[in-house]
Amino acid sequence: MTADSFLFWMLAAVTLCSGLAVVVISNPIYSALCLAMSMVGVSALFATLGAYFIAGVQMIVYAGAVLVLFVMVLMLFDLKTELVTFSRGKISGLLKIATVGVLAGFLAGAFSMTIEFAEKTGAATTVPTPDTSKALGTLLFTKYILGFETLGILLLVIAIGVVGLARSKGGTHAKH
Amino acid sequence: MPSIDIVTHIGLNHYLVLSALLFVTGMAGVLLRRNVIVLLMSIELMLNAVNISFVAFSKYLDKLDGQVLVFFVMTIAAAEAAVGLAIAVSIFKRYKEVNIRFFEHLKG
Repeated sequence: MTADSFLFWMLAAVTLCSGLAVVVISNPIYSALCLAMSMVGVSALFATLGAYFIAGVQMIVYAGAVLVLFVMVLMLFDLKTELVTFSRGKISGLLKIATVGVLAGFLAGAFSMTIEFAEKTGAATTVPTPDTSKALGTLLFTKYILGFETLGILLLVIAIGVVGLARSKGGTHAKH
Repeated sequence: MPSIDIVTHIGLNHYLVLSALLFVTGMAGVLLRRNVIVLLMSIELMLNAVNISFVAFSKYLDKLDGQVLVFFVMTIAAAEAAVGLAIAVSIFKRYKEVNIRFFEHLKG
Protein backbone atom coordinates (compact mmCIF):
# COMPACT_ATOMS: atom_id res chain seq x y z
CA MET A 1 0.00 0.00 0.00
CA THR A 2 1.45 3.31 -1.03
CA ALA A 3 1.54 6.37 1.19
CA ASP A 4 -1.01 8.10 -1.04
CA SER A 5 -3.69 5.47 -0.66
CA PHE A 6 -2.99 5.05 3.06
CA LEU A 7 -3.48 8.80 3.51
CA PHE A 8 -6.73 8.71 1.59
CA TRP A 9 -8.19 5.80 3.56
CA MET A 10 -7.18 7.28 6.89
CA LEU A 11 -8.61 10.71 6.06
CA ALA A 12 -11.78 9.18 4.66
CA ALA A 13 -12.25 7.17 7.85
CA VAL A 14 -11.68 10.24 10.05
CA THR A 15 -14.04 12.40 7.99
CA LEU A 16 -16.81 9.83 7.77
CA CYS A 17 -16.64 8.75 11.42
CA SER A 18 -16.71 12.30 12.72
CA GLY A 19 -19.46 13.17 10.24
CA LEU A 20 -21.51 10.26 11.54
CA ALA A 21 -20.77 11.33 15.11
CA VAL A 22 -22.22 14.79 14.37
CA VAL A 23 -25.53 13.15 13.55
CA VAL A 24 -25.53 10.47 16.26
CA ILE A 25 -24.19 12.21 19.38
CA SER A 26 -26.96 13.87 21.37
CA ASN A 27 -24.89 16.59 23.05
CA PRO A 28 -24.67 19.55 20.60
CA ILE A 29 -21.27 20.66 21.93
CA TYR A 30 -19.75 17.29 21.09
CA SER A 31 -21.49 17.46 17.73
CA ALA A 32 -19.77 20.77 17.04
CA LEU A 33 -16.38 19.35 18.00
CA CYS A 34 -16.92 16.33 15.75
CA LEU A 35 -17.88 18.71 12.96
CA ALA A 36 -14.58 20.52 13.49
CA MET A 37 -12.75 17.19 13.17
CA SER A 38 -14.67 16.44 10.00
CA MET A 39 -13.78 19.85 8.54
CA VAL A 40 -10.10 19.25 9.27
CA GLY A 41 -10.36 15.88 7.52
CA VAL A 42 -12.01 17.47 4.47
CA SER A 43 -9.31 20.13 4.41
CA ALA A 44 -6.61 17.44 4.42
CA LEU A 45 -8.46 15.65 1.61
CA PHE A 46 -8.30 18.87 -0.42
CA ALA A 47 -4.56 18.91 0.20
CA THR A 48 -4.26 15.33 -1.10
CA LEU A 49 -6.07 16.50 -4.23
CA GLY A 50 -3.49 19.22 -4.77
CA ALA A 51 -5.83 22.10 -3.92
CA TYR A 52 -3.60 23.61 -1.26
CA PHE A 53 -5.13 27.07 -1.30
CA ILE A 54 -8.65 25.67 -0.95
CA ALA A 55 -7.41 23.50 1.91
CA GLY A 56 -6.14 26.58 3.73
CA VAL A 57 -9.34 28.50 3.11
CA GLN A 58 -11.38 25.53 4.32
CA MET A 59 -9.37 25.40 7.53
CA ILE A 60 -9.69 29.15 8.14
CA VAL A 61 -13.31 29.66 7.12
CA TYR A 62 -14.88 26.46 8.44
CA ALA A 63 -12.70 25.27 11.30
CA GLY A 64 -11.92 28.85 12.22
CA ALA A 65 -14.95 31.04 11.64
CA VAL A 66 -18.08 28.95 11.16
CA LEU A 67 -17.28 26.48 13.93
CA VAL A 68 -16.51 29.28 16.38
CA LEU A 69 -19.88 30.79 15.47
CA PHE A 70 -21.62 27.48 16.19
CA VAL A 71 -19.80 26.88 19.48
CA MET A 72 -20.39 30.45 20.60
CA VAL A 73 -24.12 30.22 19.98
CA LEU A 74 -24.20 26.90 21.83
CA MET A 75 -22.45 28.47 24.81
CA LEU A 76 -24.93 31.34 24.65
CA PHE A 77 -27.84 28.93 24.83
CA ASP A 78 -26.49 26.91 27.74
CA LEU A 79 -28.20 23.71 26.64
CA LYS A 80 -27.70 21.26 29.48
CA THR A 81 -29.51 18.27 28.10
CA GLU A 82 -31.52 17.76 25.03
CA LEU A 83 -34.95 16.34 25.81
CA VAL A 84 -35.73 14.82 22.43
CA THR A 85 -32.64 14.23 20.32
CA PHE A 86 -34.24 12.53 17.37
CA SER A 87 -37.64 13.22 15.94
CA ARG A 88 -40.44 11.13 17.37
CA GLY A 89 -42.71 8.78 15.49
CA LYS A 90 -41.62 5.35 14.33
CA ILE A 91 -43.36 5.50 10.96
CA SER A 92 -42.08 8.95 10.02
CA GLY A 93 -38.62 7.97 11.26
CA LEU A 94 -38.64 4.85 9.13
CA LEU A 95 -39.85 6.93 6.20
CA LYS A 96 -36.98 9.36 6.67
CA ILE A 97 -34.41 6.58 6.87
CA ALA A 98 -35.96 5.04 3.77
CA THR A 99 -35.62 8.41 2.01
CA VAL A 100 -31.95 8.53 2.91
CA GLY A 101 -31.57 4.97 1.63
CA VAL A 102 -33.22 5.87 -1.66
CA LEU A 103 -30.89 8.85 -2.04
CA ALA A 104 -27.90 6.61 -1.33
CA GLY A 105 -29.17 4.18 -3.96
CA PHE A 106 -29.55 6.95 -6.54
CA LEU A 107 -26.04 8.17 -5.83
CA ALA A 108 -24.60 4.65 -6.07
CA GLY A 109 -26.42 4.12 -9.37
CA ALA A 110 -25.18 7.42 -10.75
CA PHE A 111 -21.60 6.60 -9.83
CA SER A 112 -21.70 3.10 -11.24
CA MET A 113 -22.94 4.62 -14.49
CA THR A 114 -20.11 7.15 -14.60
CA ILE A 115 -17.36 4.64 -13.83
CA GLU A 116 -16.27 4.43 -17.46
CA PHE A 117 -15.98 8.18 -17.62
CA ALA A 118 -14.02 8.25 -14.38
CA GLU A 119 -11.66 5.52 -15.53
CA LYS A 120 -11.06 7.39 -18.74
CA THR A 121 -10.15 10.60 -16.98
CA GLY A 122 -8.70 9.03 -13.83
CA ALA A 123 -5.71 7.72 -15.74
CA ALA A 124 -4.54 11.25 -16.42
CA THR A 125 -3.27 12.00 -12.93
CA THR A 126 -1.35 15.16 -13.52
CA VAL A 127 1.13 16.57 -11.07
CA PRO A 128 -0.47 19.65 -9.47
CA THR A 129 1.09 22.85 -10.65
CA PRO A 130 2.81 24.73 -7.83
CA ASP A 131 1.25 28.09 -8.70
CA THR A 132 -2.35 26.92 -8.56
CA SER A 133 -3.26 29.82 -6.25
CA LYS A 134 -2.17 32.34 -8.85
CA ALA A 135 -4.21 30.67 -11.57
CA LEU A 136 -7.15 30.47 -9.17
CA GLY A 137 -6.94 34.18 -8.44
CA THR A 138 -6.74 35.03 -12.12
CA LEU A 139 -9.77 32.89 -12.86
CA LEU A 140 -11.72 34.38 -9.95
CA PHE A 141 -11.05 37.95 -11.02
CA THR A 142 -11.63 37.49 -14.74
CA LYS A 143 -14.13 34.78 -15.63
CA TYR A 144 -16.05 34.76 -12.35
CA ILE A 145 -15.84 38.45 -11.49
CA LEU A 146 -19.62 38.90 -11.60
CA GLY A 147 -20.24 36.11 -9.10
CA PHE A 148 -17.45 37.42 -6.91
CA GLU A 149 -18.93 40.92 -6.77
CA THR A 150 -22.42 39.55 -6.19
CA LEU A 151 -21.14 37.50 -3.27
CA GLY A 152 -19.59 40.63 -1.83
CA ILE A 153 -22.96 42.37 -1.89
CA LEU A 154 -24.63 39.25 -0.45
CA LEU A 155 -22.19 39.15 2.45
CA LEU A 156 -22.80 42.82 3.21
CA VAL A 157 -26.57 42.31 3.21
CA ILE A 158 -26.22 39.18 5.36
CA ALA A 159 -23.97 40.90 7.88
CA ILE A 160 -26.43 43.77 8.36
CA GLY A 161 -29.49 41.52 8.28
CA VAL A 162 -28.15 39.06 10.83
CA VAL A 163 -27.33 41.77 13.34
CA GLY A 164 -30.80 43.23 12.85
CA LEU A 165 -32.44 39.83 13.16
CA ALA A 166 -30.58 38.86 16.32
CA ARG A 167 -31.26 42.20 18.00
CA SER A 168 -34.84 42.75 16.94
CA LYS A 169 -37.41 43.18 19.68
CA GLY A 170 -40.50 42.44 17.63
CA GLY A 171 -41.53 39.33 15.79
CA THR A 172 -41.41 35.90 17.31
CA HIS A 173 -40.16 36.87 20.74
CA ALA A 174 -42.30 39.96 21.27
CA LYS A 175 -43.80 40.35 24.72
CA HIS A 176 -47.55 40.00 24.72
CA MET B 1 -9.48 -6.07 -12.13
CA PRO B 2 -8.20 -7.56 -8.85
CA SER B 3 -9.69 -6.25 -5.65
CA ILE B 4 -6.31 -5.04 -4.32
CA ASP B 5 -6.30 -2.46 -7.08
CA ILE B 6 -9.25 -0.65 -5.54
CA VAL B 7 -7.40 -0.33 -2.27
CA THR B 8 -4.10 0.91 -3.59
CA HIS B 9 -5.08 3.02 -6.60
CA ILE B 10 -7.02 6.05 -5.49
CA GLY B 11 -9.01 7.56 -8.32
CA LEU B 12 -11.93 9.86 -8.93
CA ASN B 13 -14.42 7.19 -7.88
CA HIS B 14 -13.02 6.99 -4.37
CA TYR B 15 -13.52 10.68 -3.79
CA LEU B 16 -16.99 10.61 -5.32
CA VAL B 17 -18.10 7.70 -3.14
CA LEU B 18 -16.69 9.41 -0.04
CA SER B 19 -18.54 12.57 -1.02
CA ALA B 20 -21.77 10.64 -1.49
CA LEU B 21 -21.45 8.94 1.90
CA LEU B 22 -20.80 12.25 3.62
CA PHE B 23 -23.77 13.83 1.83
CA VAL B 24 -26.07 10.98 2.86
CA THR B 25 -24.87 11.29 6.47
CA GLY B 26 -25.68 14.99 6.41
CA MET B 27 -29.09 14.35 4.91
CA ALA B 28 -29.87 11.79 7.61
CA GLY B 29 -28.93 14.40 10.19
CA VAL B 30 -31.21 17.01 8.63
CA LEU B 31 -34.12 14.61 8.53
CA LEU B 32 -33.70 12.94 11.91
CA ARG B 33 -32.43 15.55 14.35
CA ARG B 34 -34.62 18.05 16.21
CA ASN B 35 -32.04 20.55 17.41
CA VAL B 36 -31.80 23.45 14.96
CA ILE B 37 -28.09 23.94 15.53
CA VAL B 38 -27.28 20.28 14.83
CA LEU B 39 -29.48 20.62 11.76
CA LEU B 40 -27.37 23.52 10.52
CA MET B 41 -24.23 21.47 11.21
CA SER B 42 -25.64 18.67 9.07
CA ILE B 43 -26.24 21.15 6.26
CA GLU B 44 -22.59 22.17 6.56
CA LEU B 45 -21.66 18.50 6.23
CA MET B 46 -23.67 18.22 3.02
CA LEU B 47 -22.05 21.33 1.57
CA ASN B 48 -18.62 19.93 2.42
CA ALA B 49 -19.47 16.71 0.63
CA VAL B 50 -20.31 18.73 -2.47
CA ASN B 51 -17.02 20.60 -2.11
CA ILE B 52 -15.10 17.32 -2.08
CA SER B 53 -16.63 16.26 -5.37
CA PHE B 54 -15.98 19.71 -6.87
CA VAL B 55 -12.30 19.56 -5.99
CA ALA B 56 -12.00 15.91 -7.10
CA PHE B 57 -13.50 16.71 -10.51
CA SER B 58 -11.32 19.80 -10.71
CA LYS B 59 -8.23 17.64 -10.28
CA TYR B 60 -9.17 14.78 -12.55
CA LEU B 61 -10.49 16.99 -15.35
CA ASP B 62 -7.51 19.32 -14.88
CA LYS B 63 -9.63 22.46 -14.73
CA LEU B 64 -9.61 25.06 -11.98
CA ASP B 65 -13.23 26.16 -12.36
CA GLY B 66 -14.36 23.65 -9.74
CA GLN B 67 -12.14 25.24 -7.14
CA VAL B 68 -13.63 28.66 -7.84
CA LEU B 69 -17.07 27.17 -7.28
CA VAL B 70 -15.83 25.80 -3.94
CA PHE B 71 -15.12 29.40 -2.94
CA PHE B 72 -18.66 30.38 -3.77
CA VAL B 73 -20.10 27.41 -1.89
CA MET B 74 -18.04 28.27 1.18
CA THR B 75 -19.26 31.87 1.11
CA ILE B 76 -22.87 30.81 0.81
CA ALA B 77 -22.36 28.27 3.61
CA ALA B 78 -20.97 30.89 5.95
CA ALA B 79 -23.83 33.27 5.16
CA GLU B 80 -26.40 30.52 5.63
CA ALA B 81 -24.91 29.51 8.98
CA ALA B 82 -25.00 33.12 10.15
CA VAL B 83 -28.65 33.62 9.19
CA GLY B 84 -29.70 30.25 10.61
CA LEU B 85 -27.98 30.90 13.91
CA ALA B 86 -29.54 34.37 14.15
CA ILE B 87 -33.00 32.83 13.70
CA ALA B 88 -32.10 30.17 16.29
CA VAL B 89 -31.11 32.92 18.72
CA SER B 90 -34.43 34.69 18.28
CA ILE B 91 -36.29 31.39 18.76
CA PHE B 92 -34.29 30.65 21.90
CA LYS B 93 -35.02 34.07 23.40
CA ARG B 94 -38.72 33.26 23.39
CA TYR B 95 -38.95 29.50 24.03
CA LYS B 96 -35.68 28.68 25.85
CA GLU B 97 -35.12 25.74 23.52
CA VAL B 98 -34.00 25.40 19.92
CA ASN B 99 -36.26 22.62 18.73
CA ILE B 100 -37.50 22.83 15.16
CA ARG B 101 -41.09 22.43 16.28
CA PHE B 102 -41.00 26.04 17.54
CA PHE B 103 -40.34 27.25 14.03
CA GLU B 104 -44.03 27.02 13.27
CA HIS B 105 -44.45 30.09 15.48
CA LEU B 106 -42.26 32.24 13.25
CA LYS B 107 -44.26 35.22 12.14
CA GLY B 108 -43.79 38.93 11.60
